[in-house]
Amino acid sequence: MKNSVGAVPKAPLGIRVKKTAIKIWNYKWVYLMLVPVLAYYIVFKYIPMYGITIAFKNYNVFKGITASPWVGFDVFEKIFKSKNFWNAIRNTLVLNFTTLLVSFPLTIIVSLMLNEVRSSKFKRVTQSVLYLPHFVSWVVVAGIANNLFLSTGTINRIITGFGGETIPFMSSNGWWIFTYVVCNVWKEIGWGTIIYLAALTGVDESLYEAAYLDGATKFQRLIYITLPSIKSVIVTMLILQISKMMSIGLDAPLLIGNKKVLEVSEVISTYTYRIGIERAKYSDSTAIGLFQSVINIIILFAADKFAKSIGEDGII
Amino acid sequence: MRNKFSWGRLINGLLLGILAFACLYPFLNVLAYSVSGYNAVLSGRVTFFPIDFNVDAYKQILGKTQIWMAMRSTVIVTLAGTALSLFLTILAAFALSRKDLPGKSFFTAVILFTMYFSGGMIPTFLVVKNVGLFDSLPALFVPQAINVFNFIVMRTFFKNIPESLEEAARIDGASYMKVLIKMILPLSVPIIATIGLFYAVGYWNTYFDALLYIQKPELYTLQLRLRSLLFGEELNNSNANAEGIGTQVMTQSLKMATVAISTIPILVIYPWLQKYFVKGVMIGSVKG
Repeated sequence: MKNSVGAVPKAPLGIRVKKTAIKIWNYKWVYLMLVPVLAYYIVFKYIPMYGITIAFKNYNVFKGITASPWVGFDVFEKIFKSKNFWNAIRNTLVLNFTTLLVSFPLTIIVSLMLNEVRSSKFKRVTQSVLYLPHFVSWVVVAGIANNLFLSTGTINRIITGFGGETIPFMSSNGWWIFTYVVCNVWKEIGWGTIIYLAALTGVDESLYEAAYLDGATKFQRLIYITLPSIKSVIVTMLILQISKMMSIGLDAPLLIGNKKVLEVSEVISTYTYRIGIERAKYSDSTAIGLFQSVINIIILFAADKFAKSIGEDGII
Repeated sequence: MRNKFSWGRLINGLLLGILAFACLYPFLNVLAYSVSGYNAVLSGRVTFFPIDFNVDAYKQILGKTQIWMAMRSTVIVTLAGTALSLFLTILAAFALSRKDLPGKSFFTAVILFTMYFSGGMIPTFLVVKNVGLFDSLPALFVPQAINVFNFIVMRTFFKNIPESLEEAARIDGASYMKVLIKMILPLSVPIIATIGLFYAVGYWNTYFDALLYIQKPELYTLQLRLRSLLFGEELNNSNANAEGIGTQVMTQSLKMATVAISTIPILVIYPWLQKYFVKGVMIGSVKG
C-alpha cells in the first residue's frame, strides 16, 4: 500500500478525521431525519431480537425477560419431542410445495399467453382482472371460499345438480389442501405474471423475425427464443420461492382452515400463534419462531450460493 | 404476420378469457348472493345472477353500529398508518440515498437485516405490550410502520433523480430539509402515490395484527368484524360472542353483503392503484 505507483498519497489521519467531521456536520439535518427511523427499528425490530432470549429461559410474566431463569436448550428439547411441532413443519412444507408446484408453472404459462395477445385493449383488461384478487384481504378470500366450497356452497350445488356427489372441499384433509392451493393460486397468479411480462418485453424482436423467416413454427420460436430469453428470471424466481419454503403466511391457513382439517392446516406460523397467544407459552412459541428463522437463513444462504454457482444473480 | 387470423391466437384469447372470468366470478357470486332474496339463497338457487333482487341485506348491515365502529377503526388505522409509514419511509429513503453520507452502509444494513431476521411473534408482542400500545389502534400501524420492500423502491427512485438538480439547490444555500421538501417530493409524486396506496391497502386488509393486539370489541377493525360475522360459530375468542353478534345466526346474504362492503373501497381505488403498481414492483425487483 505504501508509496504504490500511481496512488494518490493519503492525507494525514488528522485531516481525514477533520474532513469526515465537517461532512457529518454538513449532513446534520440528514442524520436528524434518520433519528425517528432508527428509533422505530430499535424499538420494534431490535429489542424484540433481544426478546428471543426467552427461548432459552423459563419465562415468567412477573419477572420479565431479564430476571427469568436461564434453562439452556430445555425448551428446544421439549419442542423437538412434540409431535405437533413436527406436524406443523410437515404441513408447512406440504402446503408450500404443493402451491409452488401448481402456481410456478401456471404463472409462466399465463405470462406467455398474455404475451401472445395482440389486442392491447384485451390484454389490459385481462391483466387488470387477473391482478385484482391480490389486493383482497384473506378474510374476504376465506368468506368467498366458504361460499363456493362448503358442502352447501355454489360449486357443490352445481356438482350435485349434474348428479354428482358432494365433495368435502373444506372438511376432508386431502380436499382441503386442494382448496388451499386453489385459493392461493387464484389470489396470486396474476400478480406473479408481472415480473415475467416485464422480462418478456425485453426479448429482442429481431430474433423472432429471423426465426420466422427461417420457417420456425410458433412453438419452436417459443421453445428456442422466448424461454431461453427469460430463463434467468425463471431460475431466480424458482430459487427465491424455494428459499421461502419454511415460511408461510398466517392468514391463509388460519382463515381457510377449520377444526376439522387442523391435522393438515396447522402450519408453523399458526402453531406459534396457538401456543404463544392462546396458551401463553411464550418461551415455547419463541423457540419455534427462532428455529424457523434459523432454518430460513440457512436455506436463504444456500439458495444464494447455489444461484451464484450456476451463474445467476444472487438473491440476497 | 400480425393481423392474420389464427386458431392458436383465438384459443389463447379464449383461455385467457376463461381465466379472467375465473378470477372475477367469485366476486360476482358474492354480489349475487348479497342482493338475492332470502328464499332463493336458502334453497341455493343463486349462482350467477341475483334472484328476487333486493338490498335488504345492505340495509340491515349498514344499520348495525358494530359495522360503523369497525369502519371507523379501519379508516383511522388506514389513514394514520399510511401517513406515518410514508413519513418514515420517505425520511429513510431520502437520507440513505445521499451518496456520500458517512455511515450510510451501516444504517442501510440495520434496515435490510430485518428482512432476513426478526424477533418473531411473541418477542414483538411483548414489546408492543410494554410500550403501552396493546389494545389500542396504533398497535396496528406503529410496530410495522416501515416496509423494507417499499423503502427499497423509494430509495431507488430517489437515487435516480439527477444529482445536478440537487447540487444547484445546495449551492444556492438550500438545506437538506429544503431540498427534500421543495425539490425531491414534488418530483416524486408518482412513487409516493404508489407506495402510499400499497401501504393503505395493506392496512385496510390487516387481519392478523388486529387479532393479536385488539381485544376491546369497540376497537375491532373491519377485517376482524368480518371474520367474526363470517365464522362466528368457530371463533373461540370469548369477546366476539360476549356482545351477541358472534352467536347470532347470519344469513348468507348478510355475510356476503359484509364481504362486499369491506371490499368496495379497494375496488374504488383499484384503477389508481393499477396505474402505478407495475412500475413499483419493477423498481423493487431491481436490487438497490
